[in-house]
Amino acid sequence: MNVERRVLLKGMALGSLVGVAMSNSGLAMANTVLGSQTRAALPTLALVSGEVAASAFLEGVTASPTARQIKVQRTDLSLDFILGLEKHLSSGQPQRIIGLVDDASAALIIDLARSAGARVQWLGQHRATANASQHHLLSAEAASGCAPQLGLQLNACGTGFSLREHRMGGQRAPLQLSAAARSSAGSEQWAVTLGYSLAALGTANIGQAPLIASRASPLTGNFVSFSIEA
Amino acid sequence: MTEQTNKNLLPRGVNSANFEQAITKFRTLLGEENVLIKDDQLIPYNKIMMAVDSAEHTPSAAITATTVEQVQGVVKICNEHKIPVWTISTGRNFGYGSAAPGQRGQVILDLKKMNKILHVDPELCTALVEPGVTYQQLYDYIQENKLPLMLSFSAPSAIAGPLGNTMDRGVGYTPYGEHFLMQCGMEVVLANGDVYRTGMGGVKGDNAWQVFKWGYGPTLDGMFTQANYGICTKMGFWLMPKPPVFKPFEIKFENDSDIAEIVEFIRPLRIAQVIPNSVVIAGVLWEASTCNTRRSDYTTEPGPTSDAILKQIQKDKNLGAWNVYAALYGTREQVDVNWNIVTGALKQLGKGRIVTQEEAGDTQPFKYRAQLMSGVPNLQEFGLYNWRGGGGSMWFAPVSQARGSECDKQQALAKKTLNKHGLDYVGEFIVGWRDMHHVIDVLYDRTNPEETKRANACFAELLDVFEKEGYAVYRVNTAFQERVAQSYGPVKRKLEHAIKRALDPNNILAPGKSGIDLANPF
Repeated sequence: MNVERRVLLKGMALGSLVGVAMSNSGLAMANTVLGSQTRAALPTLALVSGEVAASAFLEGVTASPTARQIKVQRTDLSLDFILGLEKHLSSGQPQRIIGLVDDASAALIIDLARSAGARVQWLGQHRATANASQHHLLSAEAASGCAPQLGLQLNACGTGFSLREHRMGGQRAPLQLSAAARSSAGSEQWAVTLGYSLAALGTANIGQAPLIASRASPLTGNFVSFSIEA
Repeated sequence: MTEQTNKNLLPRGVNSANFEQAITKFRTLLGEENVLIKDDQLIPYNKIMMAVDSAEHTPSAAITATTVEQVQGVVKICNEHKIPVWTISTGRNFGYGSAAPGQRGQVILDLKKMNKILHVDPELCTALVEPGVTYQQLYDYIQENKLPLMLSFSAPSAIAGPLGNTMDRGVGYTPYGEHFLMQCGMEVVLANGDVYRTGMGGVKGDNAWQVFKWGYGPTLDGMFTQANYGICTKMGFWLMPKPPVFKPFEIKFENDSDIAEIVEFIRPLRIAQVIPNSVVIAGVLWEASTCNTRRSDYTTEPGPTSDAILKQIQKDKNLGAWNVYAALYGTREQVDVNWNIVTGALKQLGKGRIVTQEEAGDTQPFKYRAQLMSGVPNLQEFGLYNWRGGGGSMWFAPVSQARGSECDKQQALAKKTLNKHGLDYVGEFIVGWRDMHHVIDVLYDRTNPEETKRANACFAELLDVFEKEGYAVYRVNTAFQERVAQSYGPVKRKLEHAIKRALDPNNILAPGKSGIDLANPF
């Protein structure tokens, strides 16, 4: 049986969280860099589906230090989109593709990435309601620090969340973080932090995702996030 | 720089040193870039939709071969080091296991780069392809060369491939929809490295490999489908000549209870080939999902969607409780005659509202159904994954006789079991010549551990309760392969394992596929 790196954050203030975090190797990484390798940012395509296009995810992406290299495209289930993406992935140009999309689009995008021989550093499944979010993450070494960063910021803004990160191949025990809701504000914080973290992945400059106020119609439902490098 | 392998992730019964040696040999044989062991290279092979931990289906490596000789070299190395290898073609078996291996640690042999269309004969209407050829590739080839041919494919059409789909005995929606029936000739690399060709393929100078299935003596093609006795590297199959007239239509039925009468109405038309294609009878939630409807549009309550909501969706989206899709093919005269027979039979039935292509226009789901029935690729059916969301999908596909009473019984049993576990009945029947494939998508939220556990229990119970009634599935995801093999009885399993021992004594080819694994006590 795995001994899980469980950190229960229920009701903790940010200060005490940091105390716990610093004793945990996974969380400590969040305070270094997002990703173990740093280099110049690659041209990046950010894919968003339906309602994500109008969500805080793109606020996070555009606030990132790599925003200038990022183009945004909406996904759909049309052949034109899928065949276009397939061509893009196979172009031979070094590039990154990040995104937050619906499950149907994700099934297609991740498999196209596999077929194109691309690397997937991050694959997240997310479920969000108006006052809480759940995050089920599968990550590679290259995305180390992303999940703890997401956990730290969600705890900081006080929204309820649970987060479970598996490392591919089980080289490390899963990271589990959770916190009860202390505030109804910032219910879309998960999306903005995610957008920021994925956009900044692999760069030296981690900065901080912007904190956002609550919205009348926050992004709710099921989504899949990813970071692909071709 | 050569990467190190993950010592925590090894094939069953293989130690780290042995595995490293095999990887080194794979690199020499295939080239560094065709041996993937880094975590970010393997993550896309690990996105599963089954209700089990993805760690149970994590590969230790993925390798890609480009020639038959390389495949022979791979099995040689696997024999030397007792490495189990899980072969995929395009790997788009969504809901049946995707590209992930059946067992943790197995090495994936990905044949995506063997993607040559070797031959298409527009006169004899045959094709010969490699494993990585997709339906879209073949469709483009037919279009570019203006060939008067039509494809048949499953719903992931564009991105799936004919070889993989046929080897898994998948079905499509045209008159050639029973894909294995249309297969003619295959080339298989056996575990000992021999290259075996079925049918006429072993005869020097032969040119009838893609037109005559049987050859001489035992006919073994079927033995290699849904099996782990060899690696198929080429497959021939028949293509339908494109008919001058194609007339798709839908018949909407208002009530759940109409299903038995629908099947009784369809069966004689289907057996007599008045309706020549695999007819679909789709339930309301299948239809709704494929025209961009989400459960959250109607309710956020947990559990099964209520019948009242189902009725509301039916009304809002102008759907039937059951929606029959079929098509007529042929000359104008043939189609007109058959159309009169179909409409006459429907009049006699006294229920059902017929919708033609002219009436439906570009509306979904009619449009994508018509495309599938005429061999035009599309991806509309992926909308199913957005009904509940969360990335969980497992196909439950029991077969039965094409009788109304069977459908009634199966649908009630499935709905009761799914609802008991808080899930929805999202199903369709595909009417073969005399059989029914009842295809149910068990959709659930993989982000919710409790729901995932429920979905797993639900799937197990579906298998149990259907088995008690004398039903079994024709295909299943890799997490339930062993369980389904049990349904088919011990004699079949003993024979299958005897063949496995004879052909693959080192158990290197996809151990566990369809429950065949020399680690089993058979």
